Amino acid sequence: MKGNLKRVLSLVLVFIMIAAMAACGGKSEKENAPANKNTDTAAKDAGTSKTPEKELYKVDVFTMLGNMAGVQTGWFAKIVKDKFNMELNMIASNVDGGGDNKFATMMASGNLGDIVIFGGEDDKYRDAIKSGLLYDMAKDGLIEKYGKDIVSGYPKAIEKAKVNFGGGKSIYGLGYNAANMPSGPSEGSEMTWGPDLRWDLYEKLGKPEIKTMEDYLPVLKKMQELEPKSDTGKPTYGFSMWADWDGNLMCLAKQFACMNGYDETDQFNPGGFALISANQEKTQGLLDPDGLYLRTLKLYFKANQMGLVDPDSISQKYEDAVNKMKDGQTLFSWFPWMDNIYNTPERQAQGKGFALVPFKDEKIYSLGFNPYGYGRLISIGSKAKDPARVMEFINWMYTPEGILMSSDTPVGPKGLTWDVKDGKPYLTDFGKKALPKNPIDIPAEYGGGNFKDGINQMNINLVQITAIHPDFNEPYDWRLWKSVLSDNPSKLVQNWRASMNALTPKEYLQKNNMLVVNDPVFTGKAPDTIDKTLQQKQGQAAAVIKQYSWKMIFAKNEAEFDKLFKEMSDKAKGLGYDEVLQWYVDRAKQVYDFRQQKK
Amino acid sequence: MPAMTRTATLKTEASNSLYRRKVKNKYVLFFMALPFLVLTFVFSYLPLHGWLYAFYNFRPGIPLSQTEFVGWKWFQSIAANPTQTGEVLRVLYNTVGISTMNILVSVLPVAFAIFLVEIRTEWFKKSVQVLTTIPNFISWVLVFSVAFNMFSVDSGMVNRVLMQLGLVDRGINFLATDSHIWLKMCLWNIWKTLGWSSIMYLAAIAGIDQELYEAAKVDGAGRYKMMWHITVPGILPTFFVILLLSIANFINNGFDQFYVFQNPVNRNHIEVLDLYVYNIGMVGSNFSFATAVSMLKSLISVFLLFVANGLSKLIRGESIV
Amino acid sequence: MRRAKNNSDSLLFNLCNYAFFTLFTVICILPFYYLFINTISNNDMSSRGLITFLPKGIHLSNYIQVLKIKGLALAAWISVARTLLGTVLTVVSSAFLGFLFTKKEMWGRTFWYRFIIITMYFNAGIIPWYITMMNLKLTNNFLAYILPLVISPFNIILVKTFIEAIPPALQESAEIDGAGYFTVFTRIVFPLITPIMATIAVFSAVNQWNYIVDTIFLMTDSKLYTLQFVLFRYLNEATALASLIRNSQGGITIDVSNMQTATSVRMTVSMIVVFPIMFVYPYFQRCFVKGIMIGAVKG
Repeated sequence: MKGNLKRVLSLVLVFIMIAAMAACGGKSEKENAPANKNTDTAAKDAGTSKTPEKELYKVDVFTMLGNMAGVQTGWFAKIVKDKFNMELNMIASNVDGGGDNKFATMMASGNLGDIVIFGGEDDKYRDAIKSGLLYDMAKDGLIEKYGKDIVSGYPKAIEKAKVNFGGGKSIYGLGYNAANMPSGPSEGSEMTWGPDLRWDLYEKLGKPEIKTMEDYLPVLKKMQELEPKSDTGKPTYGFSMWADWDGNLMCLAKQFACMNGYDETDQFNPGGFALISANQEKTQGLLDPDGLYLRTLKLYFKANQMGLVDPDSISQKYEDAVNKMKDGQTLFSWFPWMDNIYNTPERQAQGKGFALVPFKDEKIYSLGFNPYGYGRLISIGSKAKDPARVMEFINWMYTPEGILMSSDTPVGPKGLTWDVKDGKPYLTDFGKKALPKNPIDIPAEYGGGNFKDGINQMNINLVQITAIHPDFNEPYDWRLWKSVLSDNPSKLVQNWRASMNALTPKEYLQKNNMLVVNDPVFTGKAPDTIDKTLQQKQGQAAAVIKQYSWKMIFAKNEAEFDKLFKEMSDKAKGLGYDEVLQWYVDRAKQVYDFRQQKK
Repeated sequence: MPAMTRTATLKTEASNSLYRRKVKNKYVLFFMALPFLVLTFVFSYLPLHGWLYAFYNFRPGIPLSQTEFVGWKWFQSIAANPTQTGEVLRVLYNTVGISTMNILVSVLPVAFAIFLVEIRTEWFKKSVQVLTTIPNFISWVLVFSVAFNMFSVDSGMVNRVLMQLGLVDRGINFLATDSHIWLKMCLWNIWKTLGWSSIMYLAAIAGIDQELYEAAKVDGAGRYKMMWHITVPGILPTFFVILLLSIANFINNGFDQFYVFQNPVNRNHIEVLDLYVYNIGMVGSNFSFATAVSMLKSLISVFLLFVANGLSKLIRGESIV
Repeated sequence: MRRAKNNSDSLLFNLCNYAFFTLFTVICILPFYYLFINTISNNDMSSRGLITFLPKGIHLSNYIQVLKIKGLALAAWISVARTLLGTVLTVVSSAFLGFLFTKKEMWGRTFWYRFIIITMYFNAGIIPWYITMMNLKLTNNFLAYILPLVISPFNIILVKTFIEAIPPALQESAEIDGAGYFTVFTRIVFPLITPIMATIAVFSAVNQWNYIVDTIFLMTDSKLYTLQFVLFRYLNEATALASLIRNSQGGITIDVSNMQTATSVRMTVSMIVVFPIMFVYPYFQRCFVKGIMIGAVKG
């Protein structure tokens, strides 16, 4: 009996212990509390001095693009608090690892929050409109009264919202990356695609000419021979790939199509099994024997035969590939935005690093400036506590100041990270340390925390940041400011500029006519959505296509490659590939018609 | 002797009255259990109204009355044409294969517990017990990143050691291969769960009456005899219950493990039902289809549970649930 | 003679036994150790796979960075509270209900037992579950962490099986003495089933500590976020990122280069979640390392 008592006692003891631990946790929170209080009151003082009549508004922001749940903190939160006395409570559907379950439960609850951010003009957006869960911004002149900058600056975005989704009069959501600009490529200094090679090695080889995409292989082989080992003594490869981004197709097998002016979508309808030209009336199926998808698979297959493909490519994830690139195991990069993984300041000073090396026939797919806004949306929830104040806040994100602060690559608070001299913006020394997204501590008067965590977590650019800031006559994107571009370029950048005779990759590509711009169309109707039955077929066929694509790359010989391709075609077609493809081809044709009308 | 008979008669009288009381008490017992039954009803049975979605073109936020009734369409769509049927059969084959292996190795935690209690060094026993549960707490995502760091071709620890010893001249691609994939998955699973699953058997052993061991010792039984004749029968009921439950779980192998280890080379043999439904992109977007699948799975599980229970009744003479 | 043979037998047995358990334990902790040394080593070296056996460039900034996450203290407190309350309630109700189900005279016993057991295999889907919880006013409500997990069929089965293995004579003699069910449960059964109660306490505590689905779907108020939830996004970032890209079919228009946290930080997160479990678990152990002496209870 005594023994049992002891056992029970020890159980109780454990609970007490946990409770004690919890108490410690509670205490540490209390310790934090005064600090918070200070900043709170400071913020309140600032807030009250500007907008004395408004009380604190806790805005629920349901974002399908964000990755953080909880109250927005840091410097952006401070700005919003001071200006609007608002606190942004982020509800992110991505936190559960993707999927639409979170959205579904929010829909079921009948309340989508104060601000809703949609990932596309898809069924979700339309169901939300249909079930009355979005607030009509045109109702009682809300947008005229509180959204003046949107009305005056982005009338086309409003027109699209009304005509395509609002039955001609209602506004339920505004598209992202809207731009009040003449047509042209909307990207920044770099395009979305390169390809980029290890410039130092390419230079050492005497910069051999690369005419077609297949010509990269012999060059990469020579580069590999030149540098067979990475920094830590591991073998180098041309391509180190990853499979966890594969959606409807093998993601990395699409990238060469994008460098030839095709993409998975026409940028209006959803994407699927068709590769659609940016500016011509050309459509390819994934399984077309003379199509770009198969050509790319063949390229990777040959590369593997030459020992240029990392054997881990099949099993590794994106982050493993990133680690390899960091170490210098990779010699080829599809995406310029990955360059900085390898291009550390130290390496750049030695002239080492990735830089653009295009092939002669290259036509990089470019998204044109879009006055209507692209297919991600910001909306006001129908249960918003105070739609007027929310509208005011959204409107601010369309003003020059709001664009600089709220984008996903923001420049940060003025006076801290940047400032203006002679009417031109420049980065402060602090800004050079903190940007683009470094975890550098921010002084308490600017909101505390670190710069990276303080960035707006909505993760949507309402205005295209490469558009021109009216006061500076320079883009909103700080990476394109003249002061930044001319600020002490590294040896790598100098070498590249001297050799290519251009300031930025985009400039070079534009000069050499290597861009094809997909100009947005105005259709006067909502994009079609794929029927669930067809979607199911698509999912099953896509699973087969993805799997066989990888197998083909690692095929032992040409015969096996061809055999696998045949198997892939047969299986995918058995699962309804043709029917799905036809659907997408039909949609693309409609867009071609609209492109005609525009001309 | 007479004293004993007297207690015996007393006992029968007492148990007679006990019996009468028991009959009277059958509702008392039920009412004691009622609050818990209500909780179960509320949290487990009420949500089942959602099974209706399987028969509609359900879209969240839009009431069922305004959505299209499609009958058995989603059930039929699981295997609508020969290619699809082939895919589903392949997936079921994997599911059954992996489940069978997992059931076969479910005796391991039992053995683990039995042998662990034979260890007399207290601190050692305790440390083993705590430390072997650790893998259970590491998410599969991280397990994979550890696995990748150990088995990748050029940088993996294992390959580096092999190459340094001169056993191979190029790294072996352990992860991107299809060979023995079930066995590998099974081993990972054992590694992750062995220590953790043995806990309930350790508890069962602790529940065995110590007098039995002492009596056996007096009879001169050796260590193995006691293990075999006292410990094993002592935990057998628990083992059978777990076995029964895992048989009912035959088609649910879980998802995370196979999701992180899958790649285009091994997918043919690693794709179990849960993973397949995810891979064809039906989890997030098509709620009706997902509901149809999970409804089928629930029904099959419950069916298997009662089949296994019936078998147990036939063979062992007692049912478990 | 016989004794000598037994001894050598025993020696061999012990040797194998110790050897096996040592080996298996090492296999179990090696990956954990590997994760740990990577969290305290230089992040750059760690990401290049240079840390294998010993930490290099030891620092604690990963831990500091994670512990500085805002709202962590409150989240930890919520996690502890739900674990504590949830576990106590689950253990007590599972034990009591498991006990009731051992009573053959209960009205409709088999039916009600099965009524509970088969719910183990039910999966209605997230939406109907959410609607039910919403109608019960359990969204943004702390009780949502406790109530749905009170009844755990698996625990009830374990308890019932355990009680059935105990000689029935003990309970019967008490019943003969006129004790009611409740008294029998608290006086006789409860002390006897501590090993299995400790087991289900461990199971349900770990389950409560790690459970995250309810926070994801039911809680929008950040005051009710749990530790696991706050840290989950770091663990899940790579998956979330990949799915974001998969779903944005039109090219990759998101700048993802800065969106990922270092692997070492993610490892740190999982360390921080696992440590408390490792710390508390040994206390539960005492409850089932020693066998019970039914004779002692009887006497």
